[in-house]
Amino acid sequence: MLKSSLRAATSALCLSLLACIGFVSQADAAAKCIKGDRKPPFTLGWANIYSVPTWMKQTEGTIAAEVEDLKKQGLVSKLVITDAQGDANTQIQQIQSMIDANVDAIILIAGSSTAPARVIADACAKGIAIINFDSLVDTDQVTAKINTDSAQWGAGAAKWLIDSIGGKGKIIILNGPAGVSVSDDRRKGAEPVLKANPGVTILAETNTAYNVAPAQEAVSNLLFANPQIDGVLSLGGALSAGAVLAFDKQGRAQVPISGENARQFLELWKQKGLKGWATMQPNWLGAFAAYTAVQALSGKDVQAFVKVPLPVIDNSTIDSYLARADKFPADGYIYSPYDQALFDRLLAQK
Amino acid sequence: MSGSDPVLSPSPLYWPVQRQRNRGVRALFCVVAAFVAIYAYLFPGLLSIGGLSKFCQSWFPLALVSMAQAILMLTGGINLAIGATVSLGAVIAATTMSGPLGAPGAIAAVAFAGLGIGAICGLIVVRLRLPAIIVTLAGSFIIGGMALLVLPRPGGEIPAWFSDFLAGGTPVAALLLALIVLAWKLYLATPLGLSLYAAGENPVAAYRSGVPVDAARIAAYAISGLLSTGAGLYVAAQTGSGDPVIGQAFTLNSIAAAVLGGVGFLGGHGTMRGAIAGSLLLSVMVNVMFFLGFPPVAQYVAQGLIIIGAVALPQIGARGRRA
Repeated sequence: MLKSSLRAATSALCLSLLACIGFVSQADAAAKCIKGDRKPPFTLGWANIYSVPTWMKQTEGTIAAEVEDLKKQGLVSKLVITDAQGDANTQIQQIQSMIDANVDAIILIAGSSTAPARVIADACAKGIAIINFDSLVDTDQVTAKINTDSAQWGAGAAKWLIDSIGGKGKIIILNGPAGVSVSDDRRKGAEPVLKANPGVTILAETNTAYNVAPAQEAVSNLLFANPQIDGVLSLGGALSAGAVLAFDKQGRAQVPISGENARQFLELWKQKGLKGWATMQPNWLGAFAAYTAVQALSGKDVQAFVKVPLPVIDNSTIDSYLARADKFPADGYIYSPYDQALFDRLLAQK
Repeated sequence: MSGSDPVLSPSPLYWPVQRQRNRGVRALFCVVAAFVAIYAYLFPGLLSIGGLSKFCQSWFPLALVSMAQAILMLTGGINLAIGATVSLGAVIAATTMSGPLGAPGAIAAVAFAGLGIGAICGLIVVRLRLPAIIVTLAGSFIIGGMALLVLPRPGGEIPAWFSDFLAGGTPVAALLLALIVLAWKLYLATPLGLSLYAAGENPVAAYRSGVPVDAARIAAYAISGLLSTGAGLYVAAQTGSGDPVIGQAFTLNSIAAAVLGGVGFLGGHGTMRGAIAGSLLLSVMVNVMFFLGFPPVAQYVAQGLIIIGAVALPQIGARGRRA
């Protein structure tokens, strides 16, 4: 009697477990927004916020190259590109047009971290795969977000700079534009590190576009005002190049400076023998987003957030970047090599 | 004055006068109609309620700021603070709407901010006799800074019902635009409205004829501010949130739309219908080029060509008539 009821209980348990697994795997089978009714070859929409900066052009280059690859595999038929010319409202309008044209996937760099949320939710509801990378949107109505960790970017740069000036001294901080999430998040990441080092005085902070010229001008002004600067916490590659040029123009001795894989900065670093540190927001995030969109549309599960690790470029690794410099535009970014195997590894990570 | 009143007592002169006023913008109307037709051909979904609503939603804020710019240009002024004022309207809406005062409180705050900012700009320009271009440029920094103070980074919240009401699947935006145009017609029939053109065309002569030039200009600034923050409120509803830099592009686009619509920089010349048609052209152009599959670089070129074409057409037409 006991035995049979035990058996019954066990089998019931097994059944419910099986049902559970079945349910879970069914729910997990497709990524968010994917309904499974779209068949290859797919049409991809690339909703760019601004196509003029070199970083964007290079990123678009990796997307176009990836799409060519996917076309050869018969997975993609067409890539539709829009450029909102920096206006978040236009970007929303263009995403709406992509929905109207019934593209299968939209990959985007958001012009505002909040504004596109509603139109993206509309797209998601229509079964369009949404892959958002670099500048992210505050919504979970996307298939996947792909990015490096901006806070870690800022924290890493601050930690290195403070170590290299011996834990105390006067520094200036160069930020990207105000009110933009990426620039805000990098600065936020640096904050706890700066707070923990009361010996470090912040003389001034700048907010400029991620371009050499405005950064150079801003730093020139700060140099006039501050006879002693021990370090530059730059939170963007072009900003660092601008700062180095400003120091150089005024004949001031270079100081430790953080930055990014901007070719100009890396070359100045080597040329001037700087004490430098840099990381990288890889341009191939674009190619990776296109690849991820097709993976999701093909029914593979994709995590809601795919974190791409930040590399460290220092005196021991800078040569591996500069060795490939001639393959990149003079004002561009020297990104690390990538291939499909890397993308598969990044998608498989937990 | 009531004899020439364009709205309240339709005289036999009303339609001939309107035809006369339409002369400069007739070519633009044709171009806009052609583009809307092309758009409808490329995207038949436009002709559904949902499609039309979505399109009007993306056009509506630009239509509002184009009116805001046109009203000032008619008085001989210009407003370079429109973008910043839109941003401020958006962040005020996004930060107050979920607060204790709710939607009515937020709308009141947005309207008050717009009218107040506009009136202050107007007072400075008119009373201190300073150039509008300098005052509003400086104003754009101050107002833009205020927007960043209210909301340092994108965020805030607009209740879903409010967003769905203004920017859901219904043509509320089109209806609102019709109401605002009607209000503009009524305003033109008031003494201040009637003074608007006179103050822009020849302020000295108008002043000597007893036209309240200063009051008309200050009122125009206040209305311009109100329309701008109103556009910000709508953008906030449309996006469901506030962004302190969302309005930036509106300054230049509003000037482009007004000029496209035949509103002159020197004041007194142009019509509101022209400015609205100009904004419609700018907005529909983005969608037409998308559906034509133009690559972005070609879009820059095409945009420039269309704008030059739309401005040149009436000139060519006028020359043809004279010959």
